[in-house]
Amino acid sequence: MIRSILIIEDDRFIGEMYVRTLKHQGYDVDWMVGGNDGLIAAINRPYDLILLDIMLPEKKGTEILRTLRGGDKDLVPNSKIIVLTNFDQDEESRTMIEHNVDAYLIKAEITPRKLLEIIHNMDNDALTQITP
Amino acid sequence: MEVTPTPNQPVKQSQKPVLQMRDYWSRYRAIVIVSVCLMQLTIICIVAMALIIGGAKPASMLFWITVCATTLASVPLNLYLTMQLLVPLRDLTNTITNAAGEKPRLPLANPNTPRYESDGFGRFLQYIYDGSATKDAPSKDSADSPNELLAAALKNTRAGVIVMNAKDGRVVFANKNAPVRLDINEQPELELMFNPEGLLSDWLDHCRNTAVHAEKTWYRVANRIVGDTERRIFNVSANYEKGSAAEVVLVTFDATDKYQPEDDDLDFIAFAAHELRGPITVIRGYLDVLDIELEGTLAPDQQQLIQRLIVSANRLTGYVNNILNASKYDRRHLRIHLSEETVTGVYDSIKDDMELRASSQSRLLAVTFPADLPSIAADRTSLGEVIANLIDNAIKYSNEGGSIAVNATTEGSFVRVSVTDHGIGMPSNVVGNLFQKFYRSHRSRETFAGSGIGLYISKAIVESHGGSIEVTSREGEGSTFSFTVPVYASVADKLQANDRTNAGLISSSEGWIKNHSRFKS
Repeated sequence: MIRSILIIEDDRFIGEMYVRTLKHQGYDVDWMVGGNDGLIAAINRPYDLILLDIMLPEKKGTEILRTLRGGDKDLVPNSKIIVLTNFDQDEESRTMIEHNVDAYLIKAEITPRKLLEIIHNMDNDALTQITP
Repeated sequence: MEVTPTPNQPVKQSQKPVLQMRDYWSRYRAIVIVSVCLMQLTIICIVAMALIIGGAKPASMLFWITVCATTLASVPLNLYLTMQLLVPLRDLTNTITNAAGEKPRLPLANPNTPRYESDGFGRFLQYIYDGSATKDAPSKDSADSPNELLAAALKNTRAGVIVMNAKDGRVVFANKNAPVRLDINEQPELELMFNPEGLLSDWLDHCRNTAVHAEKTWYRVANRIVGDTERRIFNVSANYEKGSAAEVVLVTFDATDKYQPEDDDLDFIAFAAHELRGPITVIRGYLDVLDIELEGTLAPDQQQLIQRLIVSANRLTGYVNNILNASKYDRRHLRIHLSEETVTGVYDSIKDDMELRASSQSRLLAVTFPADLPSIAADRTSLGEVIANLIDNAIKYSNEGGSIAVNATTEGSFVRVSVTDHGIGMPSNVVGNLFQKFYRSHRSRETFAGSGIGLYISKAIVESHGGSIEVTSREGEGSTFSFTVPVYASVADKLQANDRTNAGLISSSEGWIKNHSRFKS
């Protein structure tokens, strides 16, 4: 059951949009703007879900993902990760993202309602991988 | 009447009407038909006589039935058989007529048809084609000055002239202004990016296998990708003449001046669209937030206002996506990642949006997919955009209260999805241009709805799936747009050869679907 959610997103409008929607639905939400802060927060507290933007100041989302899940040990074994991306990256990053996340969402396509639906589906079927 | 004799034509002939070679066949055929009929009737008469002599009663019913039945059966049969046997003669006279320089009345025979290849007759035709082709060349060489003139003309003309070998597509001649470059072996090769890529080679294959003479024109063919300073855009006219010394001739006309401004526009729009994306995402997002948070507190008309805002924002997103995709496609950067999907699944991803769009504009949207539809190989987002474009189009060109039907059927190893409206329809001369970039029908030019890019990019997306898109329309009755995509099982092997399935996505890279590789950046 997803209760706690960490959002790592630098765009103030987009970040607030997700925070507001998720809080409205009763989730426990933390929001980090920078890549470094985001990484520390993700490791320090076992969130149920991490929403990760790719284009971030200080540290890119792909680097955070590599640190969290790219090594031998999964640093966030209890967290699900959803990446927000426009897939403007190269093929290598794309592959890395596809291998290490539970779902990814096309940033320009996603709306709060769809995000809620996806989180809902994750709860309903924890084993199924969801793509947008 | 006095006729001046020319060296080639003796006076004798010109006093009578000159019998042209191309008229021979029809005269001969008439003679054959008459002869066969006469002969057959004679035979029947003889048989009838014999019967009468043999004791049959000429007045009896049976006698006349026998005679009539024999006549009816044997004359057409005999005629049919004779005409079949005469086909090689027809083709032979026709081919020789052509070789002699007269314009034949019938289409020229193809020596590569299975019949002629198997019985060896094709070689006769081929011999005549070859012979007439080699005969042409020296006749032009006979005078020196026209040759020099020709060389100078080829050098000076702004048009590019390219002669190609039909067998392997090699360039054997190119003039100064032709879009050719040297490949790694220092051999000249065509520097044109047909779109889709195989357009020219497919046409050549087609000509080689089935045609004797063929012509074709392509518009808006660029030599380099967008952004390259050497980029030129051509109209290309191609000519195929079987057996000729110059079998394939391409003439290119530089139309950069005409097309470049449009492309510059598109570049600018693409840039602008990219910038628009961020704010639109925020607008859509916050509309959603408002919609969720205000649920149950708004008056029905206020709720409708919110719905209209959402619909408009979604449509705007669609247009922006079309423009961005089109600019990516033109740069060969459009990425299509095929995986196993269902038509229902693809439609579900746009369902809410489509229903909202249809209902807010008073259209009835009837979507029915058969339950036993096989899964397809598709890129969900891209294919969703295609269906959305077609539905959007149907809404745009139908009347309020009109119904729009979305259906799917299985066609061999493809699934066909169709969108039918009962709107204004189009005359047939419009239909052929529909899928061109910036094309808008005669009527839609007056309104500002749409950029004329939705169908262009839909076609590109569908073709990059390995499918095709088409339209049937009747003016005043409505249109049906439909497209095909491959059934997943029919391409699964090829997809899995490139296994990167962890996130449920499979990338296809090596052009297993024709023309597919160009979408890789």
